[in-house]
Amino acid sequence: MSDYLLSTLGVYGLPVLFVILLVGCIGVPMPASLLLLAAGSFVEQGELSLWPTLLLSAGGAIIGDNIGYALGRWGGRRVSKRLGNLIGGEERLKSAERWLNHWGGAGIFLSRWLFTPLGPVINLTSGLTGYSWPRFLCYDIAGEVLWVVLYVSLGRAFSSSVQAMSEVVGDFTWAIIGLLFVAILGWKFVQYFRSPDAEEEKPKTSGSLVDETP
Amino acid sequence: MRKLGWHQWLLLSLLLVALLVTALFGVRAVRRALYWRNHKDEVIKPWMPVPYVAHSYGVPPYVLYQAINLQPIPHDRRPLREIARQQNRPVETLIAELQTAIVHSRPPYPPPPPPPPPDGGASP
Repeated sequence: MSDYLLSTLGVYGLPVLFVILLVGCIGVPMPASLLLLAAGSFVEQGELSLWPTLLLSAGGAIIGDNIGYALGRWGGRRVSKRLGNLIGGEERLKSAERWLNHWGGAGIFLSRWLFTPLGPVINLTSGLTGYSWPRFLCYDIAGEVLWVVLYVSLGRAFSSSVQAMSEVVGDFTWAIIGLLFVAILGWKFVQYFRSPDAEEEKPKTSGSLVDETP
Repeated sequence: MRKLGWHQWLLLSLLLVALLVTALFGVRAVRRALYWRNHKDEVIKPWMPVPYVAHSYGVPPYVLYQAINLQPIPHDRRPLREIARQQNRPVETLIAELQTAIVHSRPPYPPPPPPPPPDGGASP
């Protein structure tokens, strides 16, 4: 699948990059990082031009993110819930929601380029929780531009081994996400021992499937 | 010390799972990076165009084109998969031929001959 999509980058060029990043940012699993690295390598070899590559990649990613946001915001509670389940279930949605409420803009910004697999969930929950759209857009543009520039530059710098590069970067990204969850869960755990009345503050952390929207 | 309820046990197990995932991916990332440092060569995949393979292995593109019986094309972005389809044979064969050509263009073997003239054979 990933190999086939990469082949289409060679055959059809930049429109493929635009479409795949757009669809990937909505939440459909796509080899977006590898594609950006490969595009960077093609730029380095003179097969693609730099500016159109950066513009179309960032454009596709930003439009995809905003479609995700719109689905969360106007797609209705049921559709959003179904999408949430598709992405990783209620618990993951809830944890992303808490994370977003707590970290706001930083969460959106970082999930664009560092915790990239969390991006689609954050888009949906941003819409679902009614996070301000202009603010979402600002953090989104900043983060996606950074992501695209970073990955295309990596692809240019390591233009002869993008496949190996993407495997290392992919593992590294998941390790960082793991670390993020270790930090969040560890902090919750420590908090339990430090708070005097732990009994009624915890039901949310356990991942109950009951809808508890206020 | 406070007693742990089932919420806390769940939290603790999630924390352990997160730790395990972090360690697994972290170790794999480091191992891959180290391996990559020592083995610069990229595994040839069907999505790669011939010039990319040439660039990746530091081999002149015409050597690879010769190996698979093709004329070099200036901005050739056709993936190997597509070339194999055009030549009506499995992509694995094509990749094997490229690998042989790469091996034969490296040190134990004599360096490849200079490229043929650009308009070779095209007489008016």
